[in-house]
Amino acid sequence: MKFATTDPATNPSAVFYKQCTIDLQTGEMSFSDVPCRNLEDVLGGFGRSFQDLAQRQIDSAYCDENPLIVNTGLLTGSTAMTGMRTYFSGYSPIKGSKVGLPAAMWSTGSGKFGAKFKWTGLDELIFENRSAQPVYVVIKESAVGPQVQLKSADHLLGLSTHDKIMSLQKDYPDAHFAAIGPAGENWQNNYMGAVALSTENQLKSKEDKCRFAGRGGMGSLMGYKNILALVAQSSDKQAKPSELVKAANRNVIEGGGSARIQPISRGGGGGTWAAYDVLQEFHAVPVNNFRPQGNAIPEKLFRENVEKEYDIKSEACYRCGITCHNNVSEKNADGSKGEFLAKFDYEPLNLLGTNVGIHDAGQAARLIQLGDNYGMDAISLGVTISYALAYNERHPEKPILNGAFFGDFEKICELIVQAGKGELPEIGKGSMRLSEKLGETSYAYHVKGLEIAAYQPESNPGYAWAIAGGHMSMGTYGLLTREGKSDLDSWVQGITEDKLHIVGFDMIGLCKFFDIAKGIGTQMVVDCLKSEFDFDVSTDDLRAAVRRAFLRGLALELRQGYSKEEFRVPAEVYEDPNPNIKLPNITSPEFLEQLEKRVWGIFEPELEGLLD
Amino acid sequence: MKINVKLVGAFRVDRFREEVREYRAGTSVREVIDGLQLSEQILGFALINGIHAEFEAILQDGDSLTILPVLDGG
Ligand code: SF4
Repeated sequence: MKFATTDPATNPSAVFYKQCTIDLQTGEMSFSDVPCRNLEDVLGGFGRSFQDLAQRQIDSAYCDENPLIVNTGLLTGSTAMTGMRTYFSGYSPIKGSKVGLPAAMWSTGSGKFGAKFKWTGLDELIFENRSAQPVYVVIKESAVGPQVQLKSADHLLGLSTHDKIMSLQKDYPDAHFAAIGPAGENWQNNYMGAVALSTENQLKSKEDKCRFAGRGGMGSLMGYKNILALVAQSSDKQAKPSELVKAANRNVIEGGGSARIQPISRGGGGGTWAAYDVLQEFHAVPVNNFRPQGNAIPEKLFRENVEKEYDIKSEACYRCGITCHNNVSEKNADGSKGEFLAKFDYEPLNLLGTNVGIHDAGQAARLIQLGDNYGMDAISLGVTISYALAYNERHPEKPILNGAFFGDFEKICELIVQAGKGELPEIGKGSMRLSEKLGETSYAYHVKGLEIAAYQPESNPGYAWAIAGGHMSMGTYGLLTREGKSDLDSWVQGITEDKLHIVGFDMIGLCKFFDIAKGIGTQMVVDCLKSEFDFDVSTDDLRAAVRRAFLRGLALELRQGYSKEEFRVPAEVYEDPNPNIKLPNITSPEFLEQLEKRVWGIFEPELEGLLD
Repeated sequence: MKINVKLVGAFRVDRFREEVREYRAGTSVREVIDGLQLSEQILGFALINGIHAEFEAILQDGDSLTILPVLDGG
């Protein structure tokens, strides 16, 4: 990026980002230094890409006019801790309105690809049309600026996400990689393809320890465009952090914002996995398609029980002190570490474990690993499978697919493999389509066509207003469980103000664990921007930019045909309340009706003119 | 007075899961937390008899107190 101002909030057009647009059909490329329209553009990520997506009327995700936008955030590749994010944006194959229009979507992941991409000198890559042949794309730095090349990817076809990365590493030993798996290659029948991002640990150990940009099927969109992988080749450019950034980074580690995520051995909570223990207190850990039974069954996947039999190691992305990865390996007879199995984050572990009736850690790890290797979003995959299993439980005389039931490990493996190979569109196209086909939609746990995360909707009516997946684009999932808020005023305030700020991290290039509770409108971020770019930005400027970006996402949803009725948690939640969940009821039809009225009353007037 | 104290998640490490413990009358949730030397860094919230409670709340004989670490994202 180029900066000719210290005040990007009032003078955004004096900030330029380096963009490359590639026509995949012709191979033509153009580079430009694009002036920013507003602070959202400066920050980057979806704050910028959604403005570009808003300029296109797209009726189908798989059409030439739907771009795939790959970009970074302002602090990606900086000295600020967690500055590793890459963003993939486009109209989603899986998330869409009932009238059949695709929703604008982004997904993001860490690993080192984002920083390497940024260090090539490029800030954004836009893929137009589609390539006739499978290609991979090399982005590299040079004396005259970033260069981009398309190369034949025939040799990568059919390989897993990890194997693609390993194969490319042989040819580009100093690079980092973003790759789709077989699921993304089979985009016609699989709408939940993810993009795997390489980590230093993965490239050194040769173990499949990627991070994923999973949500919304951006890997399937990449597959549609016939791009199998991206290679970012640049020298490492991370400078020494300034005193200001050092202080912010120290605060990230010691200030409590990331405490729960850090290893137990360092006084932390042990990663996102720890949500199991907390939610079980309320019998709110999803079991068998989001129907907790009020018993102790989720405890089988508590960390304290898993570590008796498996080796658990806390690891991190490049130079990140938060160390949020809990990598689970077999334990040899002598207690030493055996074969690496999978990383245990709360979402995949629950949704491919307890919520499909699998309570054995080794089996859950295998399912996570399979989904990762085929390159599918663990959330959409797990929830669509749990829907199918719930259907079979209700119709034992006439089960669908391979007749799998909850807990049937072998058959669930089969479903994952078939979906990953594009042989099972019933699973690959997600729970909304499957449930509509079967005529039983009330227990399909998606909102607006995107499967929900592993927080019971009974505890989170805020899912309805999440613009890119239930827990990471609307931070209300802990408002009832953690904060004990069950009154309407708190929920209106949470949804329309405090908790929407979580999306700021998906603009600026940082992980949410940087300061998940407060968002990016903080002195820590202001200090990082001052130190890295000599920017004078206030916390109010940042908060205003995040709010505009969020509302733009909401406006785009409405433009893509969502009716207000689609902004609701799954019907089973209020039609057949689960008596086992030990929480106040905040999803009764009356509560939801009041909430909807008040939330829209605040949001709606602000949506006017946002897409002009 | 007797308080049934239940610890959740990382708080159990090197402590206990659930225990009936003796406290003097007028003990607050905060005093129980301090007495058990629970890490402030990951301290989330407390429930008295299953209901969210302030750390300054005063416990009553026979109460069940659950102390949980923070819940943030996933
Ligand atoms: S918080 Fe976790 S995912 Fe984010 S950079 Fe650090 S180790 Fe990676």
